[in-house]
Amino acid sequence: MITRELIEQIEGEASVSFEMKRDKVNFATIAFPHFRGMERILQGKSALDALVITPRVCGICGHAHLMASVRALESAYAHAGHAICLSHKAQTIREFTLVMEMIQNHFKWFYLTLIPELIKLRRTSKNSTPLKGAFAASLASKTLASFAGQWPHSSYMLPGGVTCDPTHMERIKSQGYLKELIHFFETETLGTTLQNFLSFESCKEMNALQSDISYVEQALLASGMHQKGFAYDRFIVLGEHSFSTPSKMKQTRPFLVESKYVRVKESYSPQEQTYAKNALYKNDYYETGPLARAMTAHVPIIRNIHRRFKDSAYSRVMARIVELASLLQHATELLKVVDPTETSLVAPEPIHTITAEGIGIVEAPRGVLMHKVSIVSGVIHRYEIITPTQWNIGSDTKIDPTPVQQAMIDVTKEEALFIFRTFDVCSVCTTH
Amino acid sequence: MHLKTDSKPTLLWLQGVTCNGNTHSFLNLSSLVDLLASYELLYHPSLPSLQTFENVSTCKFKCDIVVFEGTFDPLLQLNNISVHRILKHYVQSAKYVIAAGSCASFGGMFKASAPERNSGLIFNEMLQEGPLLYCKEKVINLSGCPIHPEWLGYTLSMILEGEEIILDSYHRPVELYSYLAHHGCTRNEYFEWKIDSKMFGEKEGCLYYEQGCRAPMTHASCNKILWNEISSKTRSGMPCFGCTEPDFPRADFFTTKTNMSIPEDVPLGVSKRSYLTVAGIAKTFHIKRLEGKLIDYKRTD
Repeated sequence: MITRELIEQIEGEASVSFEMKRDKVNFATIAFPHFRGMERILQGKSALDALVITPRVCGICGHAHLMASVRALESAYAHAGHAICLSHKAQTIREFTLVMEMIQNHFKWFYLTLIPELIKLRRTSKNSTPLKGAFAASLASKTLASFAGQWPHSSYMLPGGVTCDPTHMERIKSQGYLKELIHFFETETLGTTLQNFLSFESCKEMNALQSDISYVEQALLASGMHQKGFAYDRFIVLGEHSFSTPSKMKQTRPFLVESKYVRVKESYSPQEQTYAKNALYKNDYYETGPLARAMTAHVPIIRNIHRRFKDSAYSRVMARIVELASLLQHATELLKVVDPTETSLVAPEPIHTITAEGIGIVEAPRGVLMHKVSIVSGVIHRYEIITPTQWNIGSDTKIDPTPVQQAMIDVTKEEALFIFRTFDVCSVCTTH
Repeated sequence: MHLKTDSKPTLLWLQGVTCNGNTHSFLNLSSLVDLLASYELLYHPSLPSLQTFENVSTCKFKCDIVVFEGTFDPLLQLNNISVHRILKHYVQSAKYVIAAGSCASFGGMFKASAPERNSGLIFNEMLQEGPLLYCKEKVINLSGCPIHPEWLGYTLSMILEGEEIILDSYHRPVELYSYLAHHGCTRNEYFEWKIDSKMFGEKEGCLYYEQGCRAPMTHASCNKILWNEISSKTRSGMPCFGCTEPDFPRADFFTTKTNMSIPEDVPLGVSKRSYLTVAGIAKTFHIKRLEGKLIDYKRTD
């Protein structure tokens, strides 16, 4: 028998159709029913307009879209023979604001999704504190907006750099908000200092803590999530950043990656119409996102967790929390080296002189985000967006299940619904 | 019109064709905790709510305030139920309907998803032909892409206090939309003396003459109250894209349309002739301080 579950509060909705066998999930398909046609909207527009339109793909990770878009345009410039060289300042500020958006996302996921869903799964009466997530995220947005002007829907990058021209005043203000955010993270989320937490090499060291993270860690173990939610133990990271190591991995073996092998195929969703497409590398599905980033970057505590619990739901959740901590540390370092006396932007050739194709790849909060553009005399001829949720939450047949389909097999429906959310799903990005 | 109840008013947040940007913008509101304590959330797309969306979609409840985010598409189905049906049901009991963002106000960015049928709740761009035209007195438009959290915070607080909210001809609160995005811009002096920004990426110069800035023609208090309490588009070197107006999104965001090198659209309410006269005079002066860099980082020792 097939039962349909509506999944809500995932930046829109999705539905999962479960095929059950003796109270366990035998197979599940996923449908994303909403569609906006972003790629078609972009066609015929001036190429620079993509920098205003693509952040509107998504309310929670629009900044990642902005960066993918500007990288795609810069790649087109390079292919047209006008390679663009960013100043150190522009590079640092772009990286900083991207990281702050990830931090914003992870805080929301932790307090607005993970803890309430864990409480539901455990059927306990513990009170969740979702507004902690909104508070922390709003602080992260302030540090970001000090340079990007606003969040959500920031548009402050152009080919050649960034448009902001900050003084030390903006940097110091931003630093103040970041310190306040780290203080919140230490007192509320961690129950220890950031430095101490980052020195942990085993999750056992979390046992001594009394905090939101220790609740999560213990609740995951008590729910058996270290033995459930396994995908393929294959990971992919494609975005080049100061905090990422592009690679693909099978278990712990790294392989070279080339973005030209990324492809999309139609979803299999016999129960309901879906507008989502699945993303693959050659013919294989890979998990993308914080766990993949921690695996390719050899983050000790996550490699240790992976050694014991593989790519379980537990590992996936802990990777996102550990990433939150290390990104807060990384953001602090980035901010220190912003030098206001450097140039913000070196203006390239006018866009109307450009006829070329470009590809922009970034690590978004949920993983690999790709924008591909084809420009004719400065006008967008074709635009293609491939988002992280297309990698993680595809829907294929029983013969070839996607990471989330694989992860939901052989657990109860309640567990499957929790595992679904451990990937941090974004509905609006998926169908765009 | 005001709302008087002994118990907390019930708020329902519905979504049409959207990116969730207004939802996330609202979460940045500094007084969020206090404000939410005064409302019962029937459903919100990311906050804990009394009901699931699945329940809400069956039209079994009532509410006092509907917040609608996203473009209205009459064919859109949510949980396999027509959004038109859901909206109509809840609007019936609601005393206020708040269009959160430009999509819900005018059609906005996602009017382009299905231009022949998509619109805002009352307005289809400038025309009054939206699905809630029959009860337009209930509708407050808070245009912006996204909505500024303080605009929604203001509106929900005014409703709680029973204060009258005076609206402009586009159903936007006059206390929020009588200002122009130009008011409070740190580049105002460059605008006064007609000194354009030579290029992007500098704090000097006005972005209105060449870089496409719509701030002098755009109703919004962005540069008065600032975004995230700290900055704005123009303060970060970006032109204003006019995102609160019915014609958003326009095209060629980074270029000012000109006729014989004069901006096609002149500041709101100013005749072209007056503008040209003042601009012509201002341009005859050469003000050294405004022509160079604002800050000299060179050491003097």
